[in-house]
Amino acid sequence: MEDLIQEARRLREEAEKELHEVLSLPSLQEWRNRHLSKKAPLSALMARLREAPPEERGSLGAGLNEARKALEGLFGEKERALREEALTKKLESERVDVTLPGRRDGIGAINPFRLIEDEIVQIFAGMGYRVEEGHDVETERYNFELLNMPEGHPARDMQDTFYLEGEGLLRTQTSASQAHVLEENEEKGPLAIISPGKCYRRDDDDMTHSHQFGQVEGLLVGEGVSMADLKGTLALFARKMFGEKREIRLRSSYFPFTEPSVEVDVSCARCEGKGCSMCKGTGWIEILGAGEVHPDVLRKGGYDPERYQGFAFGVGIERVAMLRYGIDDIRRFYQDDARFLAGFREED
Amino acid sequence: MKVSYKWLGEYVDLTGVSPEELARRMTLAGVEVEEIRPLASGTGLLIGEVLSSEPHPDSDHLHVLQVDEGKERGVRQIVCGAPNARAGIKVIVATEGAVLPEATIRRSKIRGVQSEGMCCSLLELGMNRKYLSESQCAGIEELPPDAPVGEEPLSYLGLDDVVLELSLLANRSDMNAMVQVAQEAATLLGRELRLPKAPLVEGKDPSVLPSSLTPRCSRFALAECRGVKIHPSPRWLRLRLIASGIRPINNIVDIGNYAMLLTGQPFNMYDLDKLPEGRLEARDDIEGEWEAMDGKKYLLQKGDISIASKGRTMCLGGVMTSMECAVDGSTRNILVESALFDGPSVRRTSLRLGLASESSQRFAKGVAPLQEESLAFALALVKELADPDSVSGIALYGGERPERRRIKTSLPFINRRLGTALGEEEVLLALRSEGFRAEKDGEGILVEVPLRRIDVLGEADVSEEVIRLLGYERVPSRLPALPPEGGLTPRQERKRALRRMLRHKGLSEALTYSLLPKEEEDSYPYLLPGESLRVRNPLTEERLSYRKSLLPSLLETLLWNQARQSGDLALFEIGEVFSKGKGGERLAIALMGERRSRSLMEGAPYGFFDLKGVLEDILQFLGIKESRVRFEPLRSERQEFHPGRSAVALVGKETLAVLGELHPSELKKRGLRSGSLMEIDLSLLLSLPGEGSKARVPSRFPGTRRDLALLVREEVPFREVRETAQRASRLIKDVLPFDEYRGEGIPAGKKSLAIALFLQDEGKTLGEEKIQGAVLKARKALEEKLGAEVRE
Repeated sequence: MEDLIQEARRLREEAEKELHEVLSLPSLQEWRNRHLSKKAPLSALMARLREAPPEERGSLGAGLNEARKALEGLFGEKERALREEALTKKLESERVDVTLPGRRDGIGAINPFRLIEDEIVQIFAGMGYRVEEGHDVETERYNFELLNMPEGHPARDMQDTFYLEGEGLLRTQTSASQAHVLEENEEKGPLAIISPGKCYRRDDDDMTHSHQFGQVEGLLVGEGVSMADLKGTLALFARKMFGEKREIRLRSSYFPFTEPSVEVDVSCARCEGKGCSMCKGTGWIEILGAGEVHPDVLRKGGYDPERYQGFAFGVGIERVAMLRYGIDDIRRFYQDDARFLAGFREED
Repeated sequence: MKVSYKWLGEYVDLTGVSPEELARRMTLAGVEVEEIRPLASGTGLLIGEVLSSEPHPDSDHLHVLQVDEGKERGVRQIVCGAPNARAGIKVIVATEGAVLPEATIRRSKIRGVQSEGMCCSLLELGMNRKYLSESQCAGIEELPPDAPVGEEPLSYLGLDDVVLELSLLANRSDMNAMVQVAQEAATLLGRELRLPKAPLVEGKDPSVLPSSLTPRCSRFALAECRGVKIHPSPRWLRLRLIASGIRPINNIVDIGNYAMLLTGQPFNMYDLDKLPEGRLEARDDIEGEWEAMDGKKYLLQKGDISIASKGRTMCLGGVMTSMECAVDGSTRNILVESALFDGPSVRRTSLRLGLASESSQRFAKGVAPLQEESLAFALALVKELADPDSVSGIALYGGERPERRRIKTSLPFINRRLGTALGEEEVLLALRSEGFRAEKDGEGILVEVPLRRIDVLGEADVSEEVIRLLGYERVPSRLPALPPEGGLTPRQERKRALRRMLRHKGLSEALTYSLLPKEEEDSYPYLLPGESLRVRNPLTEERLSYRKSLLPSLLETLLWNQARQSGDLALFEIGEVFSKGKGGERLAIALMGERRSRSLMEGAPYGFFDLKGVLEDILQFLGIKESRVRFEPLRSERQEFHPGRSAVALVGKETLAVLGELHPSELKKRGLRSGSLMEIDLSLLLSLPGEGSKARVPSRFPGTRRDLALLVREEVPFREVRETAQRASRLIKDVLPFDEYRGEGIPAGKKSLAIALFLQDEGKTLGEEKIQGAVLKARKALEEKLGAEVRE
């Protein structure tokens, strides 16, 4: 029965040889049908085993089985290789150009006015100030009278204020909020508020003037709140807003509702105080007006100025934004040109 | 106020103090020096004498001059085009290398003839044209015959001065006087003050006596000077006027101006012989046409202050003299007025008539009650400069004046207000150096305020005065303790978070003007109807009405960007709106062009559902149940929104929002290619209660989905389909649409709607029987209540 083994070897060699030619899964299946199915010649050899003498059957069977096992093993390997190859091809066909744009709604920009307003409010809210949102439409009482600008005061001129039909006017400064909170605080006790908002003045619009502009008003009232507290607070604000190395200086000024009144200058960030075109050679840039709340303003708000003192300040939002970002024209804040807005995003 | 550095130097020793240093010190103390500039300037200048002048061989207007430039430089040749260039005159020569305000002089050949410099006019040295005569502007400056050849001409002419332009604070009108500027400078520099003196001289009364019939003129002083000689003022006075920005006229007019600059008190000069009668009275009841000294006619009304004679206005009080009695070249006898007029009245008159003068500006800001002292200065000058035959005494109406104000304060008060630790001695010294009387008074300090300082009224003002003079660097820096409970309120936090969320959704935050033109005031009135709140005194018709809606302004923004190739845009803005009697806060959204989710590769036109999606996201973000908000078609006759693609969002009976795509005729009217707008009542939105997070226990039992294809009438909204199906069985937890179709295969007036029913029983796994039962109930309800056909 030697020929049985030889035949099996021949069949195995033939099958192995054919397997080399197999390049796809369907033809691998055909190969399997040809060589490993029940109708395959190798199976026929198995049938012939019965003809062999019983004492040889064991070793012959093992020989045939070995050939079959070997072919099955080869089949498995080939199948894995072909599947892998097919997958690789499929994935290759699904390849994308990773440099094409992603799918997104994008993050919206923010008008630098709002950006700076938020930032100022955040700085003071972080220190513990409450935020008081005033209104654009005010009355003479809150915009002027309670702030020490009685009837006939030049600041109440028709020249500067938009008066509305009826009683109202468009507030000319956020200090109007100051008058409200003083009057409306029933305890007449300590207060710390910050009040951002829009203001209006009868200015023709040009690069540096706007009939509409923004301010943030600050007010701190307590026992013994002095100019020293104002100086410390605004120095901290200037560092947070314009950088750690900034210093401030106070310059005497005048506002009807504060006494003493000061303008606050911050050391120029561009030239470090040496003097340049940005600070007009002085090394300092004016950023806001401030002062000790006038005793009459406290009194009109129902406070006892013998007991309470306070400071107030008003920051121009556009002015700070223009300094911070080098914006050349105040009208840009109100045009919302998409190309301009695209430069600003919330940083935190 | 323009201040001559040289003039100031007469009163305060400025040795070693540059104009820049002086400016810095004054500015820090609240007297801001806005600009420092030389009166005239130029380097390399000297005085020359023209020895000869020959016509240029190759020009019909140029001269070739031989100019003696002194011992050192000798005689030089200069080519000059001035018509007055001639032999014998003394001129200003800019030598080679000289730097003038607008030129640098070089040695050159002019049409073939060598020129070694330039003869100058004062214009070329930077002097303002308004102080120069026509001939001075047309040609070169001719110096006096005794001008020293070879010397520096600016100092010889007294033009080597520097002008400090002060920008005065509203409360420091006293600084409109040189005596006060000098006082301030002396205090700040710690130097001695040497002011001129003009004692009050007794004399007989003037022939015209002052009186006043109105409280608007509370003090009125007059003096008479007879036989004055009118001629140009001396050079020193003219120069001081020029440096102060006032054009010299003649000695009488100049004296009025000079004394005003010195004392801050405006004067008026009358030609005595032109007065209709020997009386001058202040009144505020004269109306009608009046001719001012400038030859123009103005219409006076009640409240304007007149200085009248025989019922006629001789001077518009504090503003301008009348044509009728103005001083001119033939004037012999004058009357000098020094009065105190009510500032607000002068300001109103001046503003109404558009007639402003140095005088009206000073009165408007406030003048000290020092009429007779100031008048004495003017009279002393008349004596010195106009050679009068006689000068009368001063007649005064309203002699009483307020006493020097006394303010009681204390060192602890001052230190507590300033947060300082100042000593008593330095406080007293600082106040005294500024002209205050300041004495210890028991535990306190008694301060007496000079009459000129009309701004110092109370203790707080004294504290300012002290620190202003000592310098704010004396104030230490410290951080105050704050009352508890600060920071943003929950509502403010929500608003801020909402804005951030919208930006993260890709909308940019915009800011627009609140005032609208008239034709826009009633646009988009859906959330706030009613009458617009208009400005009574608008600057332009473009900015007339406070907006009732943010949408018109955002449409402007869309248009601006469309015109600048930014055609795809998503914006939002938060702002206030007002009508007569009502106001609120709004959140507006404006979309234009396409939603560009992958740059130019993918895009879908923005439309109704983009807006609605934003609102739904907002509701979800704020934790507001979507079921609280009902969307209904916007029914409006206005052709602003697309009638089929616009809606109102209602909460109960209140309108929360209006949204929609723009009507084609609105787009056309505004020149827009596309646009979708939404306006939300933010006040209402933020008042709606939001639900916080909560844990939901997911059911252990699986739910299931069954789909139905319906054919319903066009007008049946999906909301009714959902509610009907949901009400049919408690097992139906949710109903979602997954397709909507009209057109081929669907009968007219109908639409095909495919919905998914989500069923769930919390207690157990749903059996097929129960599912079938629930679906059947839903089918029946849809068929019976909505007339729906269920397609198999």
